[in-house]
Amino acid sequence: MAGGGGGLELPERQRRGKKHSKRKKKKRVGFRIDMTPMVDIVFLLLTFFMYTTTMVTPQVMEISVPKEVEENVEVNQANLFTLYVRGDGKLFFSMGTDEPQPLAMSDLRSKAVELNLLRKNKLITAFKPSPDAPYGVIVQVLDILNQAEAEIIRQLQAEGIKRERKFAFVKLSPEEVEKLKGL
Amino acid sequence: MPKIKKKRLGFVIDMTPMVDVTFLLLTFFMFTAKFKTEAEAEQKFVIKRPYASADTSKLPDKDIAIIKVGIDTLTGDTSYYYTIVNELQRRQVYDNLNFTPEQRKPQLKVGLDMLDQLIMQTRITGPRTRFAIDGDRRIRYKWIEDAIDVLRKNNATAFNFVTEKRQ
Repeated sequence: MAGGGGGLELPERQRRGKKHSKRKKKKRVGFRIDMTPMVDIVFLLLTFFMYTTTMVTPQVMEISVPKEVEENVEVNQANLFTLYVRGDGKLFFSMGTDEPQPLAMSDLRSKAVELNLLRKNKLITAFKPSPDAPYGVIVQVLDILNQAEAEIIRQLQAEGIKRERKFAFVKLSPEEVEKLKGL
Repeated sequence: MPKIKKKRLGFVIDMTPMVDVTFLLLTFFMFTAKFKTEAEAEQKFVIKRPYASADTSKLPDKDIAIIKVGIDTLTGDTSYYYTIVNELQRRQVYDNLNFTPEQRKPQLKVGLDMLDQLIMQTRITGPRTRFAIDGDRRIRYKWIEDAIDVLRKNNATAFNFVTEKRQ
């Protein structure tokens, strides 16, 4: 409602110039612009940008594997914690040379923490995923182990031990594939 | 005494504050919008990334080579796709492999042998280039295992899995 050019119309000028004019000067009132089309377009653009923007940027999980070496490393079987993922995505575990036992995904975290605290830094985790297992499940297992790692570090630190993580990807042997099939 | 009924006139709402806010939001979304890269615009698949909650680092946007394992939305075929983000390095790698102009796409659909050669050339042209494996969560682990073997063969032992934050 702002006065459209009210300041321009000086009283003297009006008196001098338009005194005898027959045409009546319309007093200029505050003007309005119809904003509806502009608002339409702005909303259209706004919805477009809102739908197309993705707020989540992908994250990364850091993985490191040992270099290709031919020689085999001797491992104390008693400290070996093996995790298997069967072709259908089911999880199994075994300690040392024991037979694999089924393990629920929800119990994995507590199991990893418990075993690592029991054997301190000596526990070696071997992860044996089946080539047929869905990749999503593999990452889920790795993620749970990473979460457990935070707790293990904290608990071992309380005991004054520096955590050294021992983890490896191992390929399933044909005998193990057969063994897991029967479970 | 009866009240005089006022004639109701067409009313006007002052849209100015609404327009102010809308413009503010519009500019915000326009500035934060990140457009698809040339490689992503061409690809015919959408990668459903595996979920992870323990990861905190973001995918770097430079000095990186991405091995994508995607399922084609039309045909359902799984294949490896290879992208080198650095344009100069990409050109150098393609020159070294004597690529024809038709092959010089920003994102290549490759087999394991080609992937091996590309990774080797990437390692030669840029020893600091990091590798990331961007796989669909529905594919079999075999695809990832083979890609890891190729990386290991080329001495790239530290790499990344691309994941999505679990909400």
